[in-house]
Amino acid sequence: MSNPYIPLLTTVKSIVSENKVNDIKTIELKFKKEEDYKSFNYIPGQFAEISLIGKGECPIGIASSPTEEGSIKFTIKKMGEVTSGFHKCGIGDIVGVRGPCGNGWPMEEIKGKNIVVIGGGFAFSTLRSLILYVLDEKYRSDYKDVTVIYGNRDSSEVLYREILEEWEKRDDIKIVLTIDREEEGWTREVGFVAAIVKKVAPSPDNAVAVVCGPPIMIKTAVAELVNLGWKDEQILNSLEMRMKCGIGKCGRCNIGNKFVCVDGPVFSLAELKKLPNEY
Amino acid sequence: MVIEEENQNIEQLIRELARKLLEEKQVDVIIGYAKGTVPLSSAPIVIDKVEDVDKLIWNNLCYINLAKYLVPRIPQFTDPEKGDLKVGIVSKGCVGRALIHLSVEQQLDLNNIKIIGIPCNGIINRKKIEKEIGEREILELSVSGDNIVVKGRDFEQTLPFDEYENELCKVCKVKSPPTIADICIGECLENPVIMDDFTDVADFDSKTPDEKWEYVKSLLEPCTRCYACREACPMCYCNLCFVDQNKPVWFGKTTELSDIIIFHLIRALHMAGRCVACGACSSVCPMGIDLTFITRSLEKIAKERYGFTSGIDPKTLPPMMAFDMDDEQEFMLEED
Amino acid sequence: MGEKLLNKSDIGKLINELGKEYSIYAATNDKQGNIIFDKIEKAEDILLDYLNSKIPPKSVLFPKVETLFEYEIKDDDIEITNPKDLYEKRIIFGIRPCDAYSFQLFENFFGYGQFKDELFKTKKENTILFGIGCNLPRQTCFCTSVEGHPHKKDDVDVFLVDLGDKYLVESISEKGKNIVQKLSWLSNTTEADIQKAKELSKLAEESMSTKIDIKKVIKIFQENFDNPIWDDISMSCIGCGSCTLLCPTCHCFDVIDENDPMSKKGRRIRLWDTCQSSIYTLETSGHNPRPNKVQRFRNRILHKFCYYPTNYDLIGCVGCGRCINICPVNNDLRNIFNSILKIEKKEEVKVV
Repeated sequence: MSNPYIPLLTTVKSIVSENKVNDIKTIELKFKKEEDYKSFNYIPGQFAEISLIGKGECPIGIASSPTEEGSIKFTIKKMGEVTSGFHKCGIGDIVGVRGPCGNGWPMEEIKGKNIVVIGGGFAFSTLRSLILYVLDEKYRSDYKDVTVIYGNRDSSEVLYREILEEWEKRDDIKIVLTIDREEEGWTREVGFVAAIVKKVAPSPDNAVAVVCGPPIMIKTAVAELVNLGWKDEQILNSLEMRMKCGIGKCGRCNIGNKFVCVDGPVFSLAELKKLPNEY
Repeated sequence: MVIEEENQNIEQLIRELARKLLEEKQVDVIIGYAKGTVPLSSAPIVIDKVEDVDKLIWNNLCYINLAKYLVPRIPQFTDPEKGDLKVGIVSKGCVGRALIHLSVEQQLDLNNIKIIGIPCNGIINRKKIEKEIGEREILELSVSGDNIVVKGRDFEQTLPFDEYENELCKVCKVKSPPTIADICIGECLENPVIMDDFTDVADFDSKTPDEKWEYVKSLLEPCTRCYACREACPMCYCNLCFVDQNKPVWFGKTTELSDIIIFHLIRALHMAGRCVACGACSSVCPMGIDLTFITRSLEKIAKERYGFTSGIDPKTLPPMMAFDMDDEQEFMLEED
Repeated sequence: MGEKLLNKSDIGKLINELGKEYSIYAATNDKQGNIIFDKIEKAEDILLDYLNSKIPPKSVLFPKVETLFEYEIKDDDIEITNPKDLYEKRIIFGIRPCDAYSFQLFENFFGYGQFKDELFKTKKENTILFGIGCNLPRQTCFCTSVEGHPHKKDDVDVFLVDLGDKYLVESISEKGKNIVQKLSWLSNTTEADIQKAKELSKLAEESMSTKIDIKKVIKIFQENFDNPIWDDISMSCIGCGSCTLLCPTCHCFDVIDENDPMSKKGRRIRLWDTCQSSIYTLETSGHNPRPNKVQRFRNRILHKFCYYPTNYDLIGCVGCGRCINICPVNNDLRNIFNSILKIEKKEEVKVV
């Protein structure tokens, strides 16, 4: 009898602040038992229910890629009781992990296609997982051109600065970073994500768009894609919902007859249009 | 007049008034009660057509406090084109009290509301009837003369009305239509009778602390934390109830006794000086918990300490929203 | 099929005998006189003549507050253990066919998909269900409209029919057969007894006053998500959640950690929750996918009569009528069905 509500135990290996105001941190977890790590097979886009035992549990997208071996990473924004607790964690503290949950980005189906990654703000974490996976030498040749459009309010909010700058130097990926308003010292794009999507005008031919961000960004960016001729089946979203069990049992995260924690969080626009507008 | 006749009269007059108000477009909608589909119920209804006025009824099972539908947390009567709708509301005394108190707390504008004041002759205690009848299905309940007649598949029982009336209704201060009613059915008394010596709570008051604890414990134990009491109460209009707050979490959400008792006691404190004694909380409880003694204790404290009765005067602030330099503070300070 | 007879006067004997090996749960009164399913200490506490319980018997295997796991925080480790009562051997005695069917729905739902709720599954495996047929369904019952029947036997292990001063006892499953065999003192039936049981079943079915074309209702629900009729139907609802509380098929739950900072021990528990709560879907960011009462009201109805059929080809309602009886504003599900059936044409293309 394996109780699906009991988490696997991990310890905090490192905890790194991602922005100036210090409310987003990336926490790296190492499984206490080797066999637990081996059993935790995930793909980009999935999430896990991580918990501070005694405080509570929350669903967080997995920021690390399965190609990064030895540990798993989560990028957590300080918003409520449990997330604040994570921010106070020290090296060696015990964190419970349940998962991997959700359907993840459809890495198999998007093989052989161009990938356009559109992210906004703090929601970039599972996109990091996807990009690292695609860029890994094992998988790079499975996918075609990769374009990344990533927008933030200002430059202090940009997550994963170091790795983004590394990617900018590569020639097998195109990185377009943008911030909402002009800023001294910022030499890259300026403008809302939707405007930059319009400017970059990614072609829908043999392509798939992976969109993740705040609701308003998703709405406007997707509208631009549709203008450019993208079909609903080509546009993938990762949704957020309030979750408790993460395994499709507590009933909370339903949109129509689908559960975001099991049938999602990744839905194509075509699928979303069939569901009630309650997300 | 016997209760049965009174009911028929009131019902007749409600329909006439509703018809007039709708025909003359004095209101856009009328909130009232309709007949329930199960014997011990009534159904709040909103009508906007003259043809529907015959759906409005009055009987002694109209226990919902209709003022609840006008609190800002439940915005239903705004039309994007017309703005706030003009609402007519069938108001028995406690509904009127609730409306007045909500207006004192600035939660609604009485100018948009046409209060149809009715003289209420008391609400039947559903749970007490069910207990009396036991596990036999009640197929029909009616008021005949001054009695309640309960019929089932193979039984019929007549029960005296005054024994099965809600305890709160027995000591009701506003049996006549509320003073601020725009239209009254029957006599609108200038000043409702506020004589009340709270003899019904004397029994609880005279208990020892241990006895009080036992009483409260056995009363509240079946609570399932469904919050029907909170949802039925017109005074519970907070956007985020203290129960649901999580920064910080004030107390547990479980149905363990400690959590249950804290919920009810804190909610009672929030009701101090505000509760209008409508009894909706007790009527809607699925587990049949009768919160009358809490309601009455709160009223007693507000009256004895501050000379205040909620929902009577549209101009006086309730004691928890105002202070007076003469307020007694014996629970905090030593006497000089 | 090997039916037996149990005299009502022997109930005490039955309970005492079975009680040696099993914890017996049956309908009994709580302190306020409500009928609930609770652990029986004395046979006299069992209610045999009852219409139906207030809180459905799902509360025995899926309690209002249930431990998911217990933990103890040690120096550099946390010890986690399963809840202690998982393997308790239980008998739930005297549940109505509608409630028995709800256990089946629970088993389906909790066992569906990649992750299975092993807690419920384990508890159910260690439970024997004694069902009892309804000879006098209530006016608010409508089990026959949702593919049920007042004498449906499929979902229990042993089925009883009240013949007046005695019960007809029929083993339905292997578990049921084994336990009835242990009660070797049960008397044999006569043909007259079996006939009477059949008659009672037929009479009960005929006495159902509510008949609804549920398939048609489901179809209309699937095609009318945004129909403005929902505003009218949900108008009087006060969002109290009593319907969800007493519903045998509702399974939504909240998860919280409870810990004692002194002993460093604690437990993670799940509690019944209701989709009617205004903060049910409220996210920490402040965004709420279902901020309006209409949306929450619609979600409950569609969950049972639309999403469930779409996902599992089952109706998520057992027709017990508890929600109809308890609703404080008399929002009657049958009235809702009648209103829905009046929608003549398809309003829009969206199908859920």
